Amino acid sequence: MDGSSSGIQEPFDLIRLSLSERVFVKLRGDREMTGILHAYDGHMNLILSDVEETIMIVNEGEQATVNVAKRKMDMLFVRGDGVILVGFYIV
Amino acid sequence: MSFFGFEERTLERGKDRRSEQDEDLAVYTWGEENYDGLGDALQEDHDDLNDETFGAVGELGKDFDFSNQALPDRKNITRSANAIVEDRPPQSSTPLTLESIWDDKSPFSLRLNGSNRTQLPRGESPAISSQHRQQSGIRTLQEIEAEMRVSADQSRQEALLQQRQQQYYLEQQRLQQQQQKQREEEELLLRQEEEREFQRQRLLYQQEQAQQLHLQRFQQQQQLLQQREHQHRRTPPPRMLPVSQSPRFMEHQQRQILLLQHQQEQQQLLRLQQLQEQLRVEELERQLRSQHISSVTPDRQPSGPTLADMEALQHQQLRQQSQSPATRSGPHRPAPLEDSLPYLPQSIQLQQRLLSEMAQAEFLREMQGLSQADQEALRVEAMRKILEAEKMEEKRRRKAAKIAHMSRYNDLMTQSDKDFITRIQVSQLVSQDPYADDFYAQVYGAIVRSRMGLSADDERVLKFGASGGVALGAPTKGGNRRPNAMQRMQQQVERIVSNARKREEEKGLHSLHSLQGALGKTSGRSYKAAPRQLLQVDSSSAPSSSPTLSHAQPHAHISKADSISKSSSEAAADAARIGRETLDNGETLVRMEPLTQREILVTLENMYDLVLNVEQLRRDQPHPEDGEEVLEQWSQDFDKLVDQMWIQLKVMLPLATSTPHPFISLLSAAKGKKILPRVTRHFDQQRMNTLLTLLIACFSQLDIISHAALLDTLEDTPERADVERQTQAFLSSVLQSILPIIVKGNLRLVCGLVGLLMHGQDIVAIAKSRPGLALLTLFLTRVEVIKEGEVDENPTPEDFAQWQLMFDHLFQLLTPEFPLLFPSTRMAEHLPRDQPHINIPGIDSLDQPVWQFLAALALQASSMQHQILVSSLREKVLDNVLSAKKGWVVDEEERSTKLANVDLFLHALGLDSSQITM
Repeated sequence: MDGSSSGIQEPFDLIRLSLSERVFVKLRGDREMTGILHAYDGHMNLILSDVEETIMIVNEGEQATVNVAKRKMDMLFVRGDGVILVGFYIV
Repeated sequence: MSFFGFEERTLERGKDRRSEQDEDLAVYTWGEENYDGLGDALQEDHDDLNDETFGAVGELGKDFDFSNQALPDRKNITRSANAIVEDRPPQSSTPLTLESIWDDKSPFSLRLNGSNRTQLPRGESPAISSQHRQQSGIRTLQEIEAEMRVSADQSRQEALLQQRQQQYYLEQQRLQQQQQKQREEEELLLRQEEEREFQRQRLLYQQEQAQQLHLQRFQQQQQLLQQREHQHRRTPPPRMLPVSQSPRFMEHQQRQILLLQHQQEQQQLLRLQQLQEQLRVEELERQLRSQHISSVTPDRQPSGPTLADMEALQHQQLRQQSQSPATRSGPHRPAPLEDSLPYLPQSIQLQQRLLSEMAQAEFLREMQGLSQADQEALRVEAMRKILEAEKMEEKRRRKAAKIAHMSRYNDLMTQSDKDFITRIQVSQLVSQDPYADDFYAQVYGAIVRSRMGLSADDERVLKFGASGGVALGAPTKGGNRRPNAMQRMQQQVERIVSNARKREEEKGLHSLHSLQGALGKTSGRSYKAAPRQLLQVDSSSAPSSSPTLSHAQPHAHISKADSISKSSSEAAADAARIGRETLDNGETLVRMEPLTQREILVTLENMYDLVLNVEQLRRDQPHPEDGEEVLEQWSQDFDKLVDQMWIQLKVMLPLATSTPHPFISLLSAAKGKKILPRVTRHFDQQRMNTLLTLLIACFSQLDIISHAALLDTLEDTPERADVERQTQAFLSSVLQSILPIIVKGNLRLVCGLVGLLMHGQDIVAIAKSRPGLALLTLFLTRVEVIKEGEVDENPTPEDFAQWQLMFDHLFQLLTPEFPLLFPSTRMAEHLPRDQPHINIPGIDSLDQPVWQFLAALALQASSMQHQILVSSLREKVLDNVLSAKKGWVVDEEERSTKLANVDLFLHALGLDSSQITM
């Protein structure tokens, strides 16, 4: 598998495998999202489609609870600055 | 206060206040409210010389005398100022001044000498007469007229005089205002530049004076015409006042001269404001003004030589003016032209000459008592000529405006600057391989062009139009100038491209020269942007290439575990391949685990690279005329790539290699489904048949088939959405690519495929999925077409028999499941038990393919099979017809869809929905 000239050479190239696949992205600000990855670049800017974003709202207090807010978007450009991790998302 | 040097006079006064008298120190008592004696120390005499020191101001009133000159710097100005000051009082008493007009001194002198602002009551006849002599012959006539006037009746003159006085008064007031403004301007100019060559100035003054006189004459004549048009008070016909006509004409001319002077002054002001930076113009203007002023001085101090000089100069000027071409606009325009005054347009000169001739002729005829008609004709002619001249001036004015408009950016940016910037911008757009650098734009352009009617005549890969906003390839309607610009740009681009190519070649030669024999690669493009190593040794190449690196990990970044697993699977694949090759029979089986997700994705990415390379190669296909060798080479490269693709697809792996087959695993990703049409485009028929066979044989292993049940659920889960998406992708890409094969397939092929479909696979499950159903329908219709005999090949009876067997088998297998073939039926099972009749939106369109399939089935079914069909689908049909007829539908569309569906099936049976009676 790795014999071709332009194979995977560094971890960053593994993102390439996930093109057109559904990925799970964890972002800063207690956010996560899943979407179909269409494009990426060196900054980790991502273009996702069919996205569902999940925001965790932490209520500090006696009993720390976590509320979750979701929203869906058709097409999204994510700035690479805020991306923590990208992973496969097998439904 | 002894230290002041004064007597202590306060001792007595403040003695009682002083407690310490023996103190030698002076006690400062500032700030005390009582008397401290300082006021006595003030010296307040010796004020007698104050007026001398500070200047006698005279009476201080609230009326500021704007006309008074405060700074006496230039003698001329002072003198002129004095003259003007002196003029003021005499002008206020208009009748006196006007009276003097009608003295022996010619009135013209007054007007001519005060051409800008000065009007001297003291007319110097010698000066004036000399000036007159300088002008055209009409001046002589004027002199004659003056003599005539003297001899004429005094009373009539007085009567006319009063009218003229009023006019002159008004005009003088206007003149005064203008003169004031101009005087201030004058003073400013003169103060700015103190010492110039006076002699030269005087010469120039005289020249300009003569020119101004010409202008004045012309303007006066024009105004005369205007007055004749607009003013009611018209010149009485000459016959009425034969004697006084000439003085009246003279008066008109005087007025015109005045107005001409006004206009001249206004023009000078405008020029001042506009061309202040230009010294030359300033000089001229100053000269003009000082000329006017100085022109007064010779009059006031009649100096013979000066006047003689002026005469001579004016004669010269006349000659010069007749020679100078008329290139400038007339004096009327306030356009920012530099030297309008010194150069008179020829037409103006012509006009003046004509008018002067006309006036001459008039006077002569006056004296000779010619008829009125001739005089009128002359006047009309003159007017016509003046109008013509005005038109020509108008044209010239427009042309000058256009030139000014075109050159309004002069010195800001020349054409070469603009070209330079254009070249820079274009060079950024240029690229060696536009399809690689700007793929999407190129393809988009191609699509749009093909949609717009195939107007892609010249396939200019560098599509400026796309970036510039011009319609892609379509002829530009209003772009008459655009093609030229585009051509220019294209030329520039070609030049840039060829330069870049040459540079690259040079670099190549150069690199060969310097780095010959080195094992590594150099950067292709110029790397000024980011400095790079001259030679980049590829350390990550295949392990076998470098003996030193082979023992090390395949790559530093990838963990050993991964690499090992990869290498093992790779080894397995290699073994399988080698085994196949050696045995020359692809039956040796190496049982493998199904491809992992990672492997699938890696393979697919490699596939994508190969596909892109193939497509690139396809685009670079050399023309047949390039030569056999090139074509041969290209073909070899192409075939090699295609072979690689074929291998990557893993189609040749034995069927039982894994479950699912690797090829099927590859198709489980949406990426894989989408890339299939692009890959199969380059495969030949044989390979395609193999591919199709494999696909059909392992059809049930497809993910969409195994997950098809999810589509029957009603809730919208992500999984369901995913399956839906995958199904769509399959239908649009994979089926599209195998469609052409099936459509052209012969009966035997179809037979075999249908047999494969049923052999060892759950045909019911396949039939319950949309792709499977579509496939079956495809097969059936193809056979129908073959049966109808519209194909080239002639199938043998054995083939038909074989097909019949297949068909019956299929029918048999599907019969019990007919109702469940319908999505509506399947979905209804998922409805909540208490609401069995919820209308699922869009269900009828989902059902339609099923009805189509059943119709296709019915077409080939025997009568027995028909009966079976009818009996099993009876419920369904009735259900639809009932709901349609009884109106249990949402809208008209749904009703029509229901009926259409049913009719599809019934028509195949030879029935119709209308036959069903309720």
